[in-house]
Amino acid sequence: MAGKSGRTIANVPEKSLKKTLLCWEGMLVVLFILINIFCKSISPSYQFVNVLREMPKYLTEMFLLFPMAYILVLGEIDISVGSTVCLAATMTCMASNNGMPFGMVVLVAILVGTVCGLLNGLILTNFQELPPMIVTLGTQIVFRGIAEIALGSGGSISLTNADGFRMIAGKIGIIPYIFFLVIILAVLFSVVLAKTTFGRSVYAIGSNRLAAYYSGIHVQKIRLIIYTVMGFMAGLAALFLTSVLYGANTTTGNGFEMDAIAMAVFGGISTSGGKGRLLGGIISGFTIICLRIGLGQINMNPQLILIILGILLILAVLLPNVSSKLKIRKKAV
Amino acid sequence: MKKKLLSALLCASLVATMAVGCSGGSSESSSDSGNDTKQEADSGSDEGGKTYAIVTKSAGNPFNEKTAEGFQEVIEAQGGTAIVKHPEAATADAQVSVIQSLISQGVDSICIAANDENALQAALEEAMAAGIKVCCEDSKTNPDSRQVFVNQAGITEIGQSLMDAVLDISGGEGQWAILSATSQAANQNAWIDSMKEIMESDDKYSKLELVEVAYGDDEPQKSTDQTQALLAKYPDLKVICAPTTVGINAAAKVLQDEKSSVKLTGLGLPSEMAEYIGDDDAHSCPYMYLWNPIDLGRLGAYTSIALVDGTITGAEGDKFTAGDMGDYEIVKADDGGTEMILGAPFKFDASNIDEWKDVY
Repeated sequence: MAGKSGRTIANVPEKSLKKTLLCWEGMLVVLFILINIFCKSISPSYQFVNVLREMPKYLTEMFLLFPMAYILVLGEIDISVGSTVCLAATMTCMASNNGMPFGMVVLVAILVGTVCGLLNGLILTNFQELPPMIVTLGTQIVFRGIAEIALGSGGSISLTNADGFRMIAGKIGIIPYIFFLVIILAVLFSVVLAKTTFGRSVYAIGSNRLAAYYSGIHVQKIRLIIYTVMGFMAGLAALFLTSVLYGANTTTGNGFEMDAIAMAVFGGISTSGGKGRLLGGIISGFTIICLRIGLGQINMNPQLILIILGILLILAVLLPNVSSKLKIRKKAV
Repeated sequence: MKKKLLSALLCASLVATMAVGCSGGSSESSSDSGNDTKQEADSGSDEGGKTYAIVTKSAGNPFNEKTAEGFQEVIEAQGGTAIVKHPEAATADAQVSVIQSLISQGVDSICIAANDENALQAALEEAMAAGIKVCCEDSKTNPDSRQVFVNQAGITEIGQSLMDAVLDISGGEGQWAILSATSQAANQNAWIDSMKEIMESDDKYSKLELVEVAYGDDEPQKSTDQTQALLAKYPDLKVICAPTTVGINAAAKVLQDEKSSVKLTGLGLPSEMAEYIGDDDAHSCPYMYLWNPIDLGRLGAYTSIALVDGTITGAEGDKFTAGDMGDYEIVKADDGGTEMILGAPFKFDASNIDEWKDVY
């Protein structure tokens, strides 16, 4: 449209095939395909059946990725979720062992997670000057501490009746239920973040919290909701993790928060807030999972796998920086 | 609109490659990883071409590495293929991924040192359902998750040896502490419980006071920190007993570096402990115990082979010959499952450490 000054301003950003392919998500899809071809070529047992069978345990971390992406877009971080998973898994096992019906057990898992998330949210919204990393570091220690007390001296609890858990660990054909759930949640979380007012508000807060506040966005309400949802999803993750582990112990969920953050960052979501799309995080999540399964199948030293993932992560955050620097240099010339 | 279409296309291609990339070989796979074929193959007694896996507690655990070496040696001598798998971290969660990966690879047996007694049940049950034979060594799983446990030594034999060592080194009275691995390690907890029982059962231990059980998680740094914390907390401490190779090594270094009067005993690797073992004040550890991890691995290997070729099923009363190691019989274990016992622990002191330190 032509403005008063006579300039033409496009009201939608320019879109082209080249741009879509060159965007971060496009490159991730290419990387995903390459990694699958690579895994297939190095491991004869890297087959659809086996990959799907090994996937459920890794997919539990995807539950944490979705809300974590929201928190990162807010420009914040939640490092307590691994401990939330541990506490929720512990309580889930205890509830199940106390003879509660499975429906109640599911409720316990989700309730414990949600309460943990709500607690984080309440602290952070009532004392807004506190940095989220420190608050969630505190709750990380507290939640795991409570779980350790509940677990007692043995440090571990196992299910005496795993029937309900066997059910949710079931499959349709060769595809485990959890896979469908992850896909449904992925679509839901992506659409909310990208297409709704709520999602736009999250980006607005992440870009400039003060500006968002003065433009009438309920900043604290949105933060509280997101942290609570984070807890809810941690509870869900705990439920499915229990169905893989048949129990919980003091190390359950260790490092999950970092894996979720790594998936998000690798997917192009900036930790400084306001940037990135959940789609990228989801594709990168599957890419990382496939790479881990493939390299695991050729019996590569697991520490080496961690090193490879670490290097990939650094490259992922480095690449956009380098390319934008190059662009600036080009413009200057 | 164009962009939406493109992203939809990208998603579709993503799913398609996953299907194509992975399922390309699924037809051929069904012949070698299917459950039925595996059980059929098991009935053949030929060891050639079989794959036997051993899973350690963590990478860099010297005891487990020696066990894996012994395992590998026997398997390869018998013409099989040995896979040594280390989990990403010293947790049961990480071992679950390892087991899942081994199921994908269609191995014939898994011999595992479990990081948690119960947490591996779902994964190991899945492995057994896929026709894979499962035994444990070093640290057991619950009876439902295994066919047989290769026990390095009876729990009471170890508890007795360690308790007598504490009594002897402390001079019969005073405070002592335990430095263990993780709080969930089944073997550690069994030995600690056994020591506590023995201490209560006999009056000669009545002047000994167990002040704390510290957990170093089998990490050198954490074990070092825990040792220093024990020294700071209990100035009257006389003896530390560390029934873990990582813990005893870390504690020995702390005590010797600080020229502490506290003495050490427990279960340790001779090669790592040689410089700390001695009767004088300059050395922190008068003597310690261990069984032979190489022999444990070798027995684990013979057991795996016997399970795969059907000589044993892991039931009580089964007997088999473990190569040059002699005959072993499977007996009932305390937890209701079955086990076989390698032998009594071996004492390492100033007189024999030099000949053993080069062995393992």
